[in-house]
Amino acid sequence: MASAAKRLDAVPGTPAPQISFDAVTLQLGGKAIIENLSLGVRAGEFLCIVGASGCGKTTALRLAAGLYQPTGGKVNFDGQPMREPRREIAIVFQDYGKALLPWRTAAGNVSLALEAAGMTSAERPARIEELLRTVGLPGHAGKYPSEMSGGMQQRLQIARCLAQEPKTLLMDEPFGALDAMTRQGLQDEVLSLVAASGATVIFVTHDLDEAIYLGDRVIGLLPHPGRIGIELAVNLPRPRDQLSTREHPEFLRLRRQLFDFIKATEQ
Amino acid sequence: MNRGAILWRVASFAVAAGFIGLWQLIANLKLVSPVFLPGPDRAWASLVRGFSSGDLWSKLAGTLEHMAYGWLLASIAGIAIGAIIGSSRTMRTYVAPSLEFLRPLPVSAIIPVAIAMLGLTQAMALFVISFGAIWPIMLATIHGFAAVEPRLYEVARSLQMSRLAVILKIALPSASPDILAGMRLSLTVALILSVVCEILAGLDGLGHWVLLSARAFRSADLFAGVILLGVTGYVTSVAMSLAEHKLLAWQAAQH
Ligand SMILES: Nc1ncnc2c1ncn2[C@@H]1O[C@H](COP(=O)(O)OP(=O)(O)O)[C@@H](O)[C@H]1O
Ligand SMILES: [Mg+2]
Repeated sequence: MASAAKRLDAVPGTPAPQISFDAVTLQLGGKAIIENLSLGVRAGEFLCIVGASGCGKTTALRLAAGLYQPTGGKVNFDGQPMREPRREIAIVFQDYGKALLPWRTAAGNVSLALEAAGMTSAERPARIEELLRTVGLPGHAGKYPSEMSGGMQQRLQIARCLAQEPKTLLMDEPFGALDAMTRQGLQDEVLSLVAASGATVIFVTHDLDEAIYLGDRVIGLLPHPGRIGIELAVNLPRPRDQLSTREHPEFLRLRRQLFDFIKATEQ
Repeated sequence: MNRGAILWRVASFAVAAGFIGLWQLIANLKLVSPVFLPGPDRAWASLVRGFSSGDLWSKLAGTLEHMAYGWLLASIAGIAIGAIIGSSRTMRTYVAPSLEFLRPLPVSAIIPVAIAMLGLTQAMALFVISFGAIWPIMLATIHGFAAVEPRLYEVARSLQMSRLAVILKIALPSASPDILAGMRLSLTVALILSVVCEILAGLDGLGHWVLLSARAFRSADLFAGVILLGVTGYVTSVAMSLAEHKLLAWQAAQH
């Protein structure tokens, strides 16, 4: 497909994308994992990426984070090449159990990001309390991650990411390991957090409903090597609502389209 | 404490009491000449005498000092060197195997070298004790650093943490259970080598006391010294366990 980044640039009056992939290729172990991927993400956009397992979603996100360097093409952030990870880009990992420091309490884990940003120890406690309240963990400041449920640990990881005051939030199947009720609650919380902070989001999921429910746009990847197979604009009103949005005719139409795409990739 | 733990404690006290009783019996029956084997009563009397005269205090202080300095030096150097080797994959690949080769080298082999270079001095003792005690700490640190969850390094990268901050805030705490276990092992090594060095170099300490007592056939004093060494080993090891328990409270929360 044509370079989405270039196409966006070409439209007069369209702002330059915050994150852009320009014909990005990544080879790992002699194998192309991502090939010729072009993509632009506007500031403040909520982009969802779906695709079968192993099609390169995580790899694409790691490229956006600067954790991988492309072997071909360019990844830009605010018009500058991404050479290494930066605090403005926060990542919520799927395996929250591994991404938290087990020897630090909830407050200590949030503090890690504030310390890295150079906040003084006098300013930290108030900010930590505020962040824990934002993600729905007030009163859990003194708990160790191992004393918290999966949903609480993922909230904690989100709190640490918010402490980075990110321009971009990258989320890799953040709710994949959680039960349905917890997941729906967290979806709505992420939407309101993002609406409040204005952050750009790239959200990877294998749950098609989740992708449509959350996103402004959904991209479906094709596997071997990973490349864009479908791109859908989600024109559903915001704020989204777990019941009415999911019953919206547009939601059902997009859902059908995405299901057909995924089914075709699996054959 | 649960029932099982109490039973264990009672059982171990019973075994110790039985042992002392047997010892007294053997001594009373003179199965072994009293010149070589004093009864627990005579050993205890010698302990009391040694402490009230102050002799044993100064010997104990000497041994504790040798042990503490050697162990602390070994800990600082072992953690520092272990951290450098453990935090670099290249170093782990190229340096770690030669450490595995050096480790089984008995420390006794290094003692003549140390004596030749440093003489029968405190410096020689410090060198030998820390050389022996460094291995468990250094190898545990290397292992602990190598086993840090890679995801945490990615978190550190995305937070743009400095190399020093990554070591202090991520690698060291993550490796701390290994490091503390290594330090506990080294404590025993340091005590043993303190005694050896005191005996060889005639440095003030329980090792020297034990040696002089043996030469003078003062078996009660000899046993008093040996008992005191055992108690020293036990008490320092228990203190270390308590410190570990406190420092690793976060691990207890995981179960
Ligand atoms: N470090 C790596 N080296 C070699 N192959 C890799 C590496 N990481 C991922 N892959 C391969 O790249 C493909 C895409 O992986 P990934 O991005 O994790 O997929 P997804 O997140 O969509 O499930 C998979 O086939 C995986 O085996
Ligand atoms: Mg993945």
